[in-house]
Amino acid sequence: MVKKIIFSILIFFVSLNANIYESNCVSCHKKLPVTIDKYFYRYLLKYSSESNVKNAMLEYMKNPTKDKTIMPEAFILRFGIKKPSNLSNKQLKEALDIYWNEYKVFGKLK
Amino acid sequence: MLVLKNLDIDLFRSEKKTLLGFFSLYTILCIVILIFISYLYYSFQKDLMLQEQRVKLQEYSSDFVFRLKDLHINFDKYKYYPRDEKFKSAIYDSSKKRIFSTLKSNEINFDKVIYITDDKIHFITQPESYYLGTKYIIIEIPEDKAWLENVYSFLFYFVFIALFFMLILGYFLLKLFLKPMKDALYLLDRFIKDTTHELNTPVSTIVTNIEMIKKASLDEKLSKKINRIDIGAKTISNIYDDLTYLTLNNKIISNNKNVNLSRLIEQRVEYFHTLANAKRIDFVVNIKNDVYLFIDEKKLSKLLDNLLSNAIKYNKLSGVIKVTLNEKHLSIQDSGKGMSKHELENLFIRYKRFDSSVGGFGIGLSIVSLIAKEYELDIKFTSKLDKGTKVIITW
Repeated sequence: MVKKIIFSILIFFVSLNANIYESNCVSCHKKLPVTIDKYFYRYLLKYSSESNVKNAMLEYMKNPTKDKTIMPEAFILRFGIKKPSNLSNKQLKEALDIYWNEYKVFGKLK
Repeated sequence: MLVLKNLDIDLFRSEKKTLLGFFSLYTILCIVILIFISYLYYSFQKDLMLQEQRVKLQEYSSDFVFRLKDLHINFDKYKYYPRDEKFKSAIYDSSKKRIFSTLKSNEINFDKVIYITDDKIHFITQPESYYLGTKYIIIEIPEDKAWLENVYSFLFYFVFIALFFMLILGYFLLKLFLKPMKDALYLLDRFIKDTTHELNTPVSTIVTNIEMIKKASLDEKLSKKINRIDIGAKTISNIYDDLTYLTLNNKIISNNKNVNLSRLIEQRVEYFHTLANAKRIDFVVNIKNDVYLFIDEKKLSKLLDNLLSNAIKYNKLSGVIKVTLNEKHLSIQDSGKGMSKHELENLFIRYKRFDSSVGGFGIGLSIVSLIAKEYELDIKFTSKLDKGTKVIITW
């Protein structure tokens, strides 16, 4: 009983520390063989600017289809299309902002 | 004004103004055309130079795209921006936000493919995919100024020679435009010359014969008639003198000597007495004795005659003419209708007459002005409408 309570409290604190991106995106993507940054650069390759990239990602997560994916067909055949996200627009945008800041090219080139 | 001089015609102020206006307009037009042509030539040469550079820039850009693609693929391994000593470069995303730049000039015109800014040539290209989000790649190389120097030196000679030819053309155009005017003036002068020549003898005969008639011995009626003939003859004689003076203007040699101005004025006033009497005009004469002036007597007399006859001609009935002379100036004041400001400004223009109700050719004051100019006499007209006109001659 005591162990259970301690465990739940631990989970609670971990989830408090982990942001919405870590808990909702990274947690699942970790299980896939393709690292999460690869998606980012594929989006960048197609959509270029910050707003375009974010909009495209948002659209896809809300309503993922085969037409909209930026991943190659082989990847889709093997892993399929993800399910629509349950997060609200605001939460998705927050997660996307964190994602963008993590991998954006601005200020990283030497 | 060499053009006008060469045409050998006596142009008046308004005509000179028109010609000057035409000539400056023509020159401005020529300059505008030349500037336009120069600009076209400059842009053509600039485009030519840019086209030549474009081939090289395209090579640089494809090399850059290749390296950018490589960086995109290996971005997790290294983040070194592809640099080259041959050119500077920059990458921008689709919202025209700068991703990275090594450019010297950061004034970028995304609407153009190739252009010059701050002595640098910019070439903008787009990669097939947005590597690292790059939509626009700007390649920059320094501008080689040699082409500009060539253009400038060519344009300098071109503009100089073209302007020279255009001005020569303008000169002939002007000559062409002036021809009808010159012909008209020539005809008028010719006519006056012929007329005056034919008038000489009869006028002299009338004037001398009238002077020879002893008026005292005539009865009053006849004396009045003779008087009228005298006035008429003197008016003709005056006009005749004016016309001769004008047509022979340049050929009369001045016979300058010390002239007793006081006596001459008295004589001329006396001469015009009959003419003034006809309009019941009184002379109020205030002349200082023995005022001398070094001048040609005939010309001075002509000047006085013109001023006095004008004072009579434009005076009202029973008016007054005040003639005042002292050491430094002479003034003749009438009590006529006066002149407006505009009329005062155009006073000395030949054949210009303000009141066609009185006779004359409009040459009197033109003669006065010519004589005054020759002897550096200062003539000042002051006039008030309905009060009269005053002429002051200062020497």
